[in-house]
Amino acid sequence: MTTLARIRRLRHSDAWIFGTMLFSACLSLLASFVLSIDAVVLAADPGTALSCDINTVISCGTVAQSWQAQLFGFPNAFLGLVAEPVVITVAVACLGGVRFPRWFMCAAQAVYTLGVLFAYWLFYEAMFHIGALCPWCLLITVSTTLVFATLTHVNLRDGNLPLPSRWRAPLKSAIAADLDAVVVTIWLLVLVLLVVSRYGTQLFA
Amino acid sequence: MGRQARKGRPVIAGPSAGLNPVMIGGLVVIVALVAAIGFMVVRASGGGSTAAGPLVAPNGATASGALPIGRESAPVTVEIYLDYMCPYCGRFEKANSAEIDKLVADGTARVELHPLNFLDRFSQGTRYSTRAANAVATVADKAPGQVLALNRVLFDNQPEENSTGLTDTRIAELALQAGVPQAVVDVLDDGIHSTWVTQSNDAAFASGVTGTPTIKINGQKYEGDLYTAGPLTAAVTSAAGEQ
Repeated sequence: MTTLARIRRLRHSDAWIFGTMLFSACLSLLASFVLSIDAVVLAADPGTALSCDINTVISCGTVAQSWQAQLFGFPNAFLGLVAEPVVITVAVACLGGVRFPRWFMCAAQAVYTLGVLFAYWLFYEAMFHIGALCPWCLLITVSTTLVFATLTHVNLRDGNLPLPSRWRAPLKSAIAADLDAVVVTIWLLVLVLLVVSRYGTQLFA
Repeated sequence: MGRQARKGRPVIAGPSAGLNPVMIGGLVVIVALVAAIGFMVVRASGGGSTAAGPLVAPNGATASGALPIGRESAPVTVEIYLDYMCPYCGRFEKANSAEIDKLVADGTARVELHPLNFLDRFSQGTRYSTRAANAVATVADKAPGQVLALNRVLFDNQPEENSTGLTDTRIAELALQAGVPQAVVDVLDDGIHSTWVTQSNDAAFASGVTGTPTIKINGQKYEGDLYTAGPLTAAVTSAAGEQ
């Protein structure tokens, strides 16, 4: 067996897919945790962040203080604290060989899709309206994308989603031909390109 | 073991999978993206470098790198460390500028402005903090009566963090609005005091200032509320009473 074939076989193995999901969900949880602590500290003493510090790397705390950071009246990061442990549980269970019923995986896909949309809305707002870059928020954008990609990979492969039957075969063969990996790579590179073109000078100058 | 069988390994290991036209197109896009990212990184890291001009201190500047405004005999000295890109300095200015103007006018306080440039990295390579601080230093040198007025219009029209900042043309317009004579406005974009600004910036941080806005009253850091009118005025007046 060639190396390429071995890599592809690994990529399609449950261990790899759910391992990636587990790892990404842990990153999301970590970032949510850091952002939640920041939010609590900020709420307790708004004065702490009310200056531009010499060590300010990316911006003067403007992301945490924008209305977008508390869309539902509490810090967005709390949502991550609630949702990511569920993803971690699912990933661990699947690694252990548990097969969830179809409706469960469908529901997971639906809810996680909402989460991804929310993460990208925040990314868009931070980039083009708040005008500040927050490394932990970016980490969430990336890890959320990876969890979404792995979940979609599994659900398309196992035919869990209620899709029209004429879509199923092409999608399944696209997954088998690794096109999903190409799409996700392009997607992440576009994110990097956006960040570098918008914030390159302050990151590297 | 049923689930192993269900996954259809033969499809994945099939010999035809691998290089189809879609896959090749995808790989081309990936290579193009990586090249574009590399290009942006190189451009970003090279773009910020500008040759440092000679060190020219504005007339009357203090040894610590400040622009003094007001009577030398005033009992209280209020030092203001600011960066024209810092949103909190904008808030400080909005709350306190009228009060500060009054304290300077009635001879209670002498203001020492420290315009810093450490937030240059938030103006997409245009070095807005330096350009704005240099404009203020140039006005302090050539038309000292207009410094506070220019300081105020710059904050009234403060650009957003991570924008390109105000253009030199816009700074010139605002300076004219603030009553700076045309002859001085014409040299604002010459960067005469840019090197001095950088030196003052470094001196401020070396002296223990950690961010902006920082206010010192007679050399003591002011720890009170910076963002509502009143408390700072009260602190200055009480310091004047102690003299």
